[in-house]
Amino acid sequence: MDKKYGVYICEGCSISDSLDVGALKDVAGEEGLTAKTHAILCGSDGVDFLKKEIEGGVNTLILCACSRRVNHDVFRFEGCIVDRVNLREGVVWPHPRSDFPALTEEEKEDEDNFDRVQMMAEDYLKMGMARVEKVDLPEPYKLDSFTNKILVIGGGVTGMSAALDAAKAGYPVTIIEKENQLGGAALNWRSQLPVSDPYETLIAPVAEEKIKAVEAHPNITVKTGTLLARLAGQPGEFLATLKKPGEKIEFDVPYPLPDEMKVDEKGKELDAETLHKKYMEYNKGRKDILTLDPNGDKFGAVVLAAGWKPSKIEGEAYTHLGVGQYPDVVTNAQFEQIAKSGKIKRPSDGKKAKSVVFIQSPGKDEDDSDFDFAGSVTSMVSLKQAKYVRDDYDDGKAYIVYQHMRTPGLNENFYKSLQQDPGIFLTKGNVVSVAKNDGGLMVEATDTLLGEKLKIKADMVVLAAGMEPATNDDPVVNLAYRQGPGFRDISLFDGFCDSNFICFPYETQRTGIYAAGAVRRSMTTEEAMEDAAGAALKAIQCIESSNRGVAVHPRSGDMTFPDFFFQRCTQCKRCTEECPFGALDDDAKGTPKPNPTRCRRCGTCMGACPERIIGFADYNIDSIGSMVKSIGVPSEDDYTEPPYRILGLVCENDAYPALDIAGLNRLSYSADVRLIPIRCLGSMNVIWIKDALSQGMDGVFLLGCKHGDDYQCHFVKGSELADIRMKKIGDALASLALETERVAQFEVAIDEYDKVPKIINDFVESIEELGPNPFKGF
Amino acid sequence: MSDEFIVEPDVNFIKEVSKLGGQDVKKCFQCATCSVACPISPETKPFPRKEMLATSWGLKDRLIGNGDIWLCHNCGDCTSRCPRGAKPGDVLAAVRTYTIGEYAVPKALGKAVNNPAKLPFLLAIPAALFIVIGFIIDLVFGVNWLNFSPSGEELWQADYFNNLLVDIIMVPTFFAAIGVFVLGLKRFIGDMHANAVLEGKTAKEKIDPAGFVQALVKIVPTILKHQRFSECGENRERATSHMMVLFGFIGLFIVTGCFFTAEWVFHIEGPYNQINPIKWLGNAGGIALIIGAFLMIAQRRGKKDQISSYKDWTLLGLVLMLGVTGMLTEMLRLGHLYGLSAFIYYLHLIFVWALFAYTPFSKLAHFVYRTVAMAYQEYSGRK
Repeated sequence: MDKKYGVYICEGCSISDSLDVGALKDVAGEEGLTAKTHAILCGSDGVDFLKKEIEGGVNTLILCACSRRVNHDVFRFEGCIVDRVNLREGVVWPHPRSDFPALTEEEKEDEDNFDRVQMMAEDYLKMGMARVEKVDLPEPYKLDSFTNKILVIGGGVTGMSAALDAAKAGYPVTIIEKENQLGGAALNWRSQLPVSDPYETLIAPVAEEKIKAVEAHPNITVKTGTLLARLAGQPGEFLATLKKPGEKIEFDVPYPLPDEMKVDEKGKELDAETLHKKYMEYNKGRKDILTLDPNGDKFGAVVLAAGWKPSKIEGEAYTHLGVGQYPDVVTNAQFEQIAKSGKIKRPSDGKKAKSVVFIQSPGKDEDDSDFDFAGSVTSMVSLKQAKYVRDDYDDGKAYIVYQHMRTPGLNENFYKSLQQDPGIFLTKGNVVSVAKNDGGLMVEATDTLLGEKLKIKADMVVLAAGMEPATNDDPVVNLAYRQGPGFRDISLFDGFCDSNFICFPYETQRTGIYAAGAVRRSMTTEEAMEDAAGAALKAIQCIESSNRGVAVHPRSGDMTFPDFFFQRCTQCKRCTEECPFGALDDDAKGTPKPNPTRCRRCGTCMGACPERIIGFADYNIDSIGSMVKSIGVPSEDDYTEPPYRILGLVCENDAYPALDIAGLNRLSYSADVRLIPIRCLGSMNVIWIKDALSQGMDGVFLLGCKHGDDYQCHFVKGSELADIRMKKIGDALASLALETERVAQFEVAIDEYDKVPKIINDFVESIEELGPNPFKGF
Repeated sequence: MSDEFIVEPDVNFIKEVSKLGGQDVKKCFQCATCSVACPISPETKPFPRKEMLATSWGLKDRLIGNGDIWLCHNCGDCTSRCPRGAKPGDVLAAVRTYTIGEYAVPKALGKAVNNPAKLPFLLAIPAALFIVIGFIIDLVFGVNWLNFSPSGEELWQADYFNNLLVDIIMVPTFFAAIGVFVLGLKRFIGDMHANAVLEGKTAKEKIDPAGFVQALVKIVPTILKHQRFSECGENRERATSHMMVLFGFIGLFIVTGCFFTAEWVFHIEGPYNQINPIKWLGNAGGIALIIGAFLMIAQRRGKKDQISSYKDWTLLGLVLMLGVTGMLTEMLRLGHLYGLSAFIYYLHLIFVWALFAYTPFSKLAHFVYRTVAMAYQEYSGRK
């Protein structure tokens, strides 16, 4: 693209009141560009003016106006590169002239005086001009082959719902189910929790209806008794190898080498080729992930609805509950089976079970936690099963001893209606023991609502086993990905697969695979059906985005993708290992193989690469690096007391919006900082920090989101990876004889706009205490 | 409280209490708003929260012997503040009615009194009693105590229903009722004490009769002044009407006693002169009954959040009918409509008999149980 530049300065929103626009124009002039001004660029007149400029041949626009987070649709021009210099939220608003006075005419006479805010605006303009020089218009990545078929893993209510939703939207769907019939867990139920208003009574399981609808739908193919042996490829062109349960085939997915096998006797890491050899030995009989199954089935996206299994209640921790000693102590899943097969009878002697105690929490100690994986569903199931007892026997009594009774949303109605039953008794309590009592059992509980040690005679005792996600001990998706067949780090989330529960539901850490139902969290049938619709829509969005060569999420519609300059690749595998989404598969030599439709465009690979050979059309090492280098760093040669210069690399997802809001609220921070938005802290390459310091900047800070178990990162690991890289940078700083305190990383959430100014000012203050960078002026 | 407790819920108890106006008890989710709202709740034993729980768990034994439930005057503060609509005030009222039925023998009669279908039968008993006994006496002894067409210028109801006939029926009924109360109270006081000991509400091990009577005497002014009633928030205005009915009854009881003595001891025949101060008291009592009953009915009808069940309406109806039939008998007699007066008197007799005979089984028994419970509270030193 032959770039023709144009610089446009908006005078609206008090920009021209605060800044010397003429001086700004001169800055453009120094680069050989003529800057034009307009009173209100975002108005229709302003846009028409820009369009005329584009007609006149300009194709690279540097708009000095408001933040890029606003008016992005107004300033989008087909075929043009647009850079938004953030003068409003970034300069004028957070640095009002009342706090940062402009120079008077008299002061201007003395060249040793300077205007910090004007300097800031001029630097941002320079940075904008530097950036556009280094970026290109993105071109979408198009797949060679493409399919819009959706694979649904799991034929339970969730899977069937997702299949029906996707099929109704016109997408061909294949359901695979490991059992020999559709229906999943619901097949074993006598009745189920309500799914619609008034949420008061039990209903017949909805699975039957779903099975009929699925079997009747022409767009749905059902494969029962089928497992996924491996899933290779990427969204839009996944390649699935299916098999029968128990079968061993060469396309069973291989597993990565355990860490201890990756090193030699001396603990030194093995070279790529030896590693691959060991890996192939380790996975004997299985083909490498890059070997494609010629008979595989192609799918565009996957809905994972593998469901749950009742969590096991066994072992010494539960002996006080009579587990393993008394046959009449059962789990809720076993109780459901008994209820399904007729009136409720005791397993031990077939006697009618007219007094049943439902225990919701293991009790015994001070700890009030519930059984593993238990939650609102187990609470409601206990109510449901209590009703069975009452339905079967007029004189039946059902007791529920709980630490937590959770019936969220309108299920409160269900709780209320069950509570009205004269034979259902609810109490909070700590179960101490379940013991034999003549002809039955005796349950003992303390700290009950009745205020004393309680003993209840029971024919049966039912324990609230939780819903363990199928993904807890089995990858299920069996991905032919170099990072491994399952979802990474899901043990952090008790085996539930979800990349960010609150911000991005359904999206797993693997693009193109959308989780729904009990693999996401334990949930009721009603919630699972709604979940299925969400996952089906996500799968469709993925297919449509992959087809157009754009990112699915969270950077929906982003046309860029990482480009590798392979000649300089040293096969260090950092990109392959650090990619949060497993988008890269290295080959036998260790060279990464990109899978662009798996990619979420976070740039983590770019941040990781020590050779700096990875970049995007509009975002790369050079574009950010040039911005850094264009920042003016005044020294004692310029002023007697030169201002400090501090660089902030700011995550554009949470921190940058927070800064914009701070500006909107006129919260000021130091005018000596220069902020550069980056896609994710994971994409931060340490070279930028080194560049900044070696050109005399006094400090560098990173502003990202919270990491750890409750991370807020759009890309899961960005802040965490940046944190690791920052720790390593200490040595480099020491070798330059610079204090490690000159570089810092801060966490901020999107709503903490009121805290950001203080974070920045505190850092600036700490740098001022250290004194100026000794390299300044060199 | 006991260290261990084997819980055996009585589902029938829950069902019965539900029928008696406590149908919302199961809605309770133990938030204890009622205990905070209740003006008589002690600090350490949340009342009526624990009673709500005991009721919803069908723990009958903890409730019927529980004196605390009688300390509640159903002020309605708990009911109006309950976030769940469990109506604790009405549940306690229902439990009290159940308790009355539990202590009054025979139990079958207690059941019938609280069963709307049995009302005609219950009223038919006195209706038949006066006529049948009157005829039998006529047949056997040839004494004509029942005269449907007496002659004379100035007549009164005794010319139709001889006072002897009335009294040989009423006096035994009255004492039978007292007997039922005595039997019930004996068990009630014992149970109440046992419960208080069990729940640690008293330090006394045995009940000393003299002390108990002293306590009883001590609380009478409290009751007469309706001091507890005036602590009520929601139902404060009810104190006035309740006081009217109570004093109406007391006045009429004195009047009846005086005239009984006048008739049988001093052989002064009725009807008595209108300027007789006893007569004034009688008239005032009758009017108080009618106005009090009307006010209470109006208050109940106006209160939508409070449950008014069969037990409440029958009692108020009875009070109103007693007053109305009594006053009408007198007024019709003064208007020389002797036949009609006698018929209304007959109805009055039916209601009076019903009052005597059914009181130990009906809601009205509260005046005995509540008084005793309050006396016990005074005696046991419970705060």
